[in-house]
Amino acid sequence: MRFVADFIGALRAAGLPVSPAESLDALKAIKLLGLDSRETCKSVLALTLVKRQVDQEVYEELFDLYFASVERAKDAEKVLDKEADKDAPSEMSLKVQNDQTDAADNNSSPQSLDSSEANKSDAAQANASSALGQDLSQDKDMSLAITQAAAAEKLSSIVLFTQKNYFAYKIMQRLGDDALSTEIRTVGNSLERKNSLERKNSPERKNSLEQKDSPELIKTLRKLIKARARLLDQVKDYVEQQYMIYAQHKGLKYREEYLQQAKLSQLDQLDFKLMQRLVQRAARKLASQHSRRRLTRKRGQLDVRKTIAANAAFDGALFHTRWKATRIERPKIVAICDVSGSVSAVARFLLLFLYSLQDVMPKVRSFVFASDMIEVTELFKQEGIELALEEIMKRWGGLSTNYARALEDFQSQALASIDKNTTVIMLGDARNNQGDGRADIWEKVFRKSKRVLWLNPEHRNSWDTGDSIMSEYSPWCGSVEPCRNLKDIERFFSRLLKHS
Amino acid sequence: MSVIIKHQEKIASPEIIQSRYEDLGYICSHSVATAIYLACHLQKPILIEGPPGVGKTELAKVTATYLNAPLIRMQCYEGLDESKALYEWKYGKQLLYTQVLKEQLGDVLRGARGLDESIARLHDFGDIFYSQDFLEPRPLLQALQSQEGAVLLIDEIDKADQEFEAFLLELLSDYQVSIPEIGTIKAVSTPIVMLTSNNTRELGDALKRRCLHLYIPFPDAALESRILATQVEGLDEQLREQIVALISKLRDMPLKKSPAVSETIDWARALLLLNVEELDPHWVKNTLNLLLKFQDDIELVEPEIKALLKGLR
Repeated sequence: MRFVADFIGALRAAGLPVSPAESLDALKAIKLLGLDSRETCKSVLALTLVKRQVDQEVYEELFDLYFASVERAKDAEKVLDKEADKDAPSEMSLKVQNDQTDAADNNSSPQSLDSSEANKSDAAQANASSALGQDLSQDKDMSLAITQAAAAEKLSSIVLFTQKNYFAYKIMQRLGDDALSTEIRTVGNSLERKNSLERKNSPERKNSLEQKDSPELIKTLRKLIKARARLLDQVKDYVEQQYMIYAQHKGLKYREEYLQQAKLSQLDQLDFKLMQRLVQRAARKLASQHSRRRLTRKRGQLDVRKTIAANAAFDGALFHTRWKATRIERPKIVAICDVSGSVSAVARFLLLFLYSLQDVMPKVRSFVFASDMIEVTELFKQEGIELALEEIMKRWGGLSTNYARALEDFQSQALASIDKNTTVIMLGDARNNQGDGRADIWEKVFRKSKRVLWLNPEHRNSWDTGDSIMSEYSPWCGSVEPCRNLKDIERFFSRLLKHS
Repeated sequence: MSVIIKHQEKIASPEIIQSRYEDLGYICSHSVATAIYLACHLQKPILIEGPPGVGKTELAKVTATYLNAPLIRMQCYEGLDESKALYEWKYGKQLLYTQVLKEQLGDVLRGARGLDESIARLHDFGDIFYSQDFLEPRPLLQALQSQEGAVLLIDEIDKADQEFEAFLLELLSDYQVSIPEIGTIKAVSTPIVMLTSNNTRELGDALKRRCLHLYIPFPDAALESRILATQVEGLDEQLREQIVALISKLRDMPLKKSPAVSETIDWARALLLLNVEELDPHWVKNTLNLLLKFQDDIELVEPEIKALLKGLR
């Protein structure tokens, strides 16, 4: 049972939402079918715990890692059990021997085993005094002990890879490494002392017993040092593996949290992939929140004619109501994005977000510009949003901005199609390289449309500094907001959906 | 007595389920059998997801046959509401009832003095306007009222609205439904509930939490070959292997809709009818429309047929 509980902990750390009710289901199911068959166990836990297809991969990876470690621990237990079994019959056999002499032949092998083991342990006791040293010199399998020590040190709470050495050290300590190291040191010291004494003293005074003992002692010392190194390796491997199970995905979670706050314009190229996933997840959340509201609005006015027809069978008593479907006036969104220089990174995620919301968003037309403005709605449809974005960024990113030119293009291409149902979203830093802003076109857009929203990727303090002409446009915007990180984008869209 | 108790020996282990389903012509993987086993023993609904045509609905049918239980099927669609899924009042009869009541009213109120007493007598008069007698059970209620237990298949739940999903929660977790006018109706014997989804939209977490989640992927080559062997009798073994190999290659191509098991079976049957002994480009080209349902896909695959077939040998 602890196995399952721990495993659920690992799943949660990896970001799978496992509820207590589901954990109970898993435990009940395991009780029914047992943990013996790996295949069964895997499908049982998948059935009860993994409810989203996206989590399947993470689950499988974790399961394999986890099951491997558990199996190793189990094997160790089995070995221990066997040893215990081995001890038990040999003791029995001694008794039996005392009672029945003729049974001695049959039991000779366990007896010899017993005696050999006894010899070994005697020798070990003579050589190594610390508990860990004894275990090691007997070549015992330490994996069970390591697992227990790790549990006592709460290894499953590991978060960062920098903690790996710390945990390895802690586990070694718990295994009794202190005593062992001390022993190694003292034995080493005494040997050294002996050696120096031998060198100083004349051979006559050499004790015959010491002479016999020294090589033995050196051998033990070497063996102990080697065994300790091996144990340390084993512990480190174990910590590494547990880190993979518990922390690998936790790290991802921290990274994601950080990315949500991070400035979009300063994102690492490496983080783009992760960021895209975050954007899509946030968009999905918003979409599911808002799809509900849209449905309730579908019903229109009572259709009297149809209602009477439908209720003719009930003697004219009106049981069923028939409703006119509302004529859906699809509000339109026109998104205009500056894709030059520093704005491009933000534009990329804004567009990605916008298109991930397609299910709940009204019709979207998108334009991008640096100096010339073009419509990219079709391109997005044909190429798929991600590919198209790559292409746009390659072609336009890094050009210098010319708002006048862009707005003139917009006027000729799209101004006519803007009506009272259109929401216009502009993303840009309003840095116009000292040119004329043509704010008069923006005023026309403002007057013709339902709403104009301006998102600025710069902080409020830097608006209107240098070549920024934000204040020329801001009178003709419903609202102007800074839009610096993913959280900002999410908040913006949440508000937009509420009002559309 | 519920189906689950009645057929204890039939669901004693996943292995038994797997082999018996095979006898019924449904070849399933171990995890599918495990899901059925758990659904019976934990009395939990199964949510089955997977691409179209991998046998999700079929699984429910086979389960019903296997357990000798009636299969109650509810197809979901947009706009499905509780009056179509759960219950409806028999309006016509209710109307007649009020007519009868009107005639009886004189008898009931005879001799009553004053308005207060009349109303008191009316209150004492049993009101059956909203009662079980006038209730028209729809699939969900039928499944709950079934004496012997039933297999309830809620097909393509993803097509229904989100509200409906929320409405199902009470049924799925406690096997009961609430009817405002009457109260709570509990299941006579627990039905086995299966929900299928084609994943056209993400289902709510609350629903998923209450179900076992079974994902049926496209079968691997060995499994598909076995399915073909049972479903299409008299198919040459070599041809069967060729078909399976070709299909699995097609599934790796970027198609709008990959051929599913049901399409493989249709195709194999067609090839058998046409007396085709070995896959050759000519026959494949002529029968491709059985496998691929989009013109775009057909246009994509057609030039590749020779190369695909070459790889088989």
